[in-house]
Order: sequence, then structure tokens, then C-alpha cells
Amino acid sequence: MTVLPWIVAVWLLGIGLYGVVSSRNYVHLIGCMTVIQSSTYVLLLGLGYRWGAGPPIFYDHPPGTPAVDPVVQALVLTDIVVGATISALLLALALQVHKRDGTLDPQEIEPLKGQKR
Amino acid sequence: MSLAALLPYPVVLPLLVAGVLLALGHLLPSRVPEVVATLVAIVVAVLSVVLAHGAMDGTPVLWFGGWTPRPEVTLGIAFAADPASAGFASFIAMLFAATFVYAGGFFDKQRATFHVIMLLFLAAMQGFCLTRDIFNLFVWFEVMSVAAFALTGFSLRRSSLAGALNFTVCNSLAATFMLAGIGLLYARTGALDFAAMGRKIAAAGDDPVIVGGFCLVSCGLLIKAALAPFQFWLADAHAVAPSPVSVIFSAAMVPLGLFGFTKLLVQVFAGSGQVLAIVHGLLMALGCITVVVGGVMAWRQRHLKRLLAFSTISHVGIMVTGVATLSGVGLAGLFAYVVGHGLVKGALFMLVGILLATKASVDELDLRGLGRDIWPAGVTTAVAALLLGGAPLGLLHAGADLIGAAPSGAGTIWVHVVVLLGTALTGAAVLRFAGRIYLGLGPDPGDEAEAPSEEEREQADRPLWLMLAPAAALLALDVAIPAETARTMAARLVLPFAPLFPVVSVPPPEDWAIAEPWLSLAGTLALAGTALFRERLPRAIPAATDRITRPLFAGLEHLHSGLINDYVVWIAVGLALFAGWAVI
Repeated sequence: MTVLPWIVAVWLLGIGLYGVVSSRNYVHLIGCMTVIQSSTYVLLLGLGYRWGAGPPIFYDHPPGTPAVDPVVQALVLTDIVVGATISALLLALALQVHKRDGTLDPQEIEPLKGQKR
Repeated sequence: MSLAALLPYPVVLPLLVAGVLLALGHLLPSRVPEVVATLVAIVVAVLSVVLAHGAMDGTPVLWFGGWTPRPEVTLGIAFAADPASAGFASFIAMLFAATFVYAGGFFDKQRATFHVIMLLFLAAMQGFCLTRDIFNLFVWFEVMSVAAFALTGFSLRRSSLAGALNFTVCNSLAATFMLAGIGLLYARTGALDFAAMGRKIAAAGDDPVIVGGFCLVSCGLLIKAALAPFQFWLADAHAVAPSPVSVIFSAAMVPLGLFGFTKLLVQVFAGSGQVLAIVHGLLMALGCITVVVGGVMAWRQRHLKRLLAFSTISHVGIMVTGVATLSGVGLAGLFAYVVGHGLVKGALFMLVGILLATKASVDELDLRGLGRDIWPAGVTTAVAALLLGGAPLGLLHAGADLIGAAPSGAGTIWVHVVVLLGTALTGAAVLRFAGRIYLGLGPDPGDEAEAPSEEEREQADRPLWLMLAPAAALLALDVAIPAETARTMAARLVLPFAPLFPVVSVPPPEDWAIAEPWLSLAGTLALAGTALFRERLPRAIPAATDRITRPLFAGLEHLHSGLINDYVVWIAVGLALFAGWAVI
């Protein structure tokens, strides 16, 4: 494994976090969350990669042929499903907020606004 | 049938019933889903108790699909029920049963939806307790989170939507960190099974990739456990969720995050000196900060659910100081404290829910003196306040006692002072609102009584006794278990849970340890007294304390801005703290 996937993963994490921290719109913020998730996928796939190896499917070539690590791919696949669920839920919440308040700016919709002393 | 064959059922049963309820819920009479859900929770609790009891003679392990480990290769996924994990699972199921009874009639309009999501939540928590595969743990963590997000925003009110958004963003970041950490750990150990990973990590010695993986995974779990500086989402989410949901959040979900962290620590990372050094140093410090921040913020609230949410943060801090001692006694303390705290805090959220249902408010000043006609709830709240404030009685006290007895190295005395302060502040905050609401004590707030919060009210036509009975039952359970029995029982759970941290002996209470609960109880009474009888004190005293405390309070409240951007900054800071501590 080269150092490139590490750099890409850290870069995606960095810009994703920056996006979330500076976001003034919840849809944009949810997009940035997806970028952060992608950084994890790059990291995981990079960790399981082997030069010159094929896909981990032994249908048409005998077991024992070099293949990339199927475990990390399974992890990524599982998380893509979960990630989609969470993005959908977040977007649904954002939609409801927009229906009520007509805004998606986090600074306008803090919870318990004015409920503190 | 062997014991191991029982292992999947605490997860499978609620999942299955949730599916059936979802399909048939609209056809059934409205009370049927409630009754079915309660029965399922009780059956799951019994199953887990059977598992916990049987596990005292050896931990049952089930490899799904017969994928047992071969030498050097562990590919299968296993459930394993050591007595502590199964015991905690059973406590959670019992809490769900009590909550379902409490919530009887709460969600009539929504038909079965609430119970479907709650059963999913229950199944995820059982899986989280029983699994011994780190990726499987992550999956249950996610299922638990999704159910929790949906439950927080359940009412679709303005504040609950905003709270749910904060909660969702923070916790899905947590999940992302956790997955990245799992990737790093897998890269080094080539396994996902706790025991197999533990062996590889012990053999690997100091390895930056393993430490990095630890930092990411533990940040993920500690965001769930609401350790400072990851605690911000908790108060927003717990304050706006429906009361029955808040019960589960505070009493089960948040401590479960810490429980998962502890399990990984002692079963996977116990062989890594660097990791143990991080826990012993950084985690102890963060735990102490959490205790103080949670305590002070709880004391400052007038929104009752927010007050209880901050007190949960404070108590999580106390649990963390037990874990960070890295000793068997500290772990035994954690077990007893988690259950004792769950019982008392669950009861308190139910009691506040009663106010929300019958008086349509959760504002302390707004409700002053209005609780006189439901005085049984007042008496119960006062008992819970005293237990929270350190009364030397029952399970919670046993836990606090064991945590206090665990050797915390240099600075022990400061840890004790901090824990004492947190206990007294949270107990006093609860006692203060009990005195004000049920006895009408305290100065007349005048115009200030106008609650700044939005109108909220929860389903009002439920009988008082139905809501009060589960709360009283939880408290009675806490008190009924004698502290001495609880100490021995908790100590017996440690060895199968953490073979490397055995309890050599439960130390006999020292002289000052006997005085400690009385000290915190006195602090509780004194603090609540000064708040309620403020105008009878010489005027100089409140003025002087105000001058000292006001900047501190203002600063802390400024930090809890409710703004998701700020919270994510704090999460990044926390991650950097872990990484920085590891490098140094």
C-alpha cells in the first residue's frame, strides 16, 4: 500500500470537518457528513488492497489466487447501507425543520432557543 | 438445549415482534401493541437473567453458522455472554418493560409506531451487550443510534427536531470515527473478534497504528457516553425527547456507550501499555472535568429535563473515574453504579414526565407550588433526590462506594473532592426543584415565572398511579438491594468480564469513606437549602458567592450554545486531545 490513500483519507476528513463546522445550511452540512464518511471508505479500501491481486470472487479462478481483502470490502458495503439510512433520516429531519421554520440555517434553529436563563 | 443456544434470542425476539407489529399494527386494537411490547421486554429480561446466571459457571459462546476459529484465523462472528454483559442486558430489558408500562396510553395517536422503534432499540442494545466482534458491535451501535434519532424527533415539534438534528450529526460522526478505527485495528491484527484482537495487540507491543485505532474507536464510543468535551449533544436530545424515551436514553443508552468502551478496553486493549497510559491519565482528567461541568450546568437549569440531562453527564463522569483507575474494584464500582444510576435517573425522568402530563410544563419557576395536589410524586422525587445526592443506601451508594475505594494513583484526594461536588450539586438541584414545585418553597419569581420555552404537553389523560408505579418500583429496587450484597455481587462479575483486572479483595471501607456519603448528603441539603431559603440568609452571603460564580456559570452556558457547528469543533478538539496525548 502506498501513502496516497492515507493522504486522500486525511484530506477528505479535513475538508469534510471544515465543511460541517462552517456550514450555514443543513443540506450542505449533510453533504459534508457524507464526505467524512467517504474518507473512511478510502481508508478501509486502501488498507485491504494488494498490488496485482484480483477481486475476492473465486467463481472462475481457483481458491488461492491472490485477491484483495474481502473483509474490509464487506465492512464498507455495510457502512454504505447504514450511511444511506442516516443521510435519509437527517434529510427528513431537515425537511421537517424547513416546513416549520422556513430556514435551514443551524444558527436560526438551535434547540431550546431562549429556554436557558 | 445448551445455554449458548439461547444467545441470539434476546436480539431475535424483539426484532421479530417489531416486524410483526409494523405489519399488523394498524389492524390491532390500540392497547395490544403496548401489552405485546411489555411482554417481549419482560421475556428478554428473563432470558438475559438466565444467561447471566448460567454464565457464572463459564461464559457461553455461540459462533454463528459454526464458523469456529481455527489456529491463527478467526473469521466467524460470535456472541458471548459473560455475567456482567448479560446482567446489564437484562437490566436494560427490565427498564424497557417499566418504560412501556409508564408510557401506557402515551402514544395512542401514533398506534404501534412508537413500540416498533422501541423494540428495535431494545434489540440493538441487547446485541451491543452480547456481541464479541468489534464490527458487529459497530453495527448494533448504528442500529441503536438510528432508533434513538427517530425517537428523539418523534413528536416533530420545533425543539425536538432541532435536538434530534444535533444528536444525529454528533452520533453519526461518532460512528464514522469508530469505523475508521476498526479499519486501522483490523489492518494490524487481521481479526475482528475481541479475543483474537486482544492476543495480537498484546503481542504487538507499542504500535502507533493500534494506538490510532484505539483513539478513533474510543472517541466514537465516548461521544455516545457524553464524556466532556463530547457531551454537548446530550442535553439537547434528552431535553426534547418524549419522557419515556428520555428514561431509556439517560438510564441505558448513555451508560451503554461507556460500557462498550470499557469492554473493548479490558478485552481488546488490555495488553497495550500505551493505551492503558492514555486511559489512566487523560480519561481520569476528562472524567473529573465532566463531573464538574455536568454538576454545575445541572444546578443552573430551570428546564427540568435539561437539568436531569446534565446530571446524567455528571454521573457519567463519576463512572469514568471508576474505569480510569484500571482496577477490578473500579470496574465492580462501574457495574453497580450503572445499574443504581439507571434506576434512580429513570425514575426521575418518569417523575418529570408526570409533571409534563398533568401540569403541562417542565419549567421549575413556572410550576412553583403547583404540585401540591400530586404530592405522592413529590415524595418520590425527594427520595430520588436524596439517593442521587449520596444517601448511604442501596445500589447507587454501593457503586459510588466501590468507585471511591478504587486506587486512583496520585491526586486521589482531588478525585474524591470532585466526585463529592458532582454528587452534591446534582442531588441538590433535584431536591431544589422538588421543594419548589411540591412545597411551594423559595422566593416568588414574579414575572420571571413566565416560561421562555414553547408550549409543551404530553398526553394528559393517563392515570397518575400508572405513571407513578413504575417510577416507585425502580426506586424501590435500588433501595431494596443492600449495599453489602451489591458490593460482593459486583465484585464477582469482574473476573469473567476482565480476566486481566481481577478483584483481589473488596477493600474494607476506610474511616473517611464512611463519612463520605454523609458529607455529600450534607452538601446536597445545604445547597438546596440556600437556593430555597435565599431571602432568609444575610444578604452578604448570596452577593459574595454570586460575584465568584457568575463568570464561571456564564462561561459554561456560553459554551453550550446549541449550535451544531460549535459541537463538531469540540468533537474535533476531543479527537485531537486523544491523538496529542498518545503522541506525547
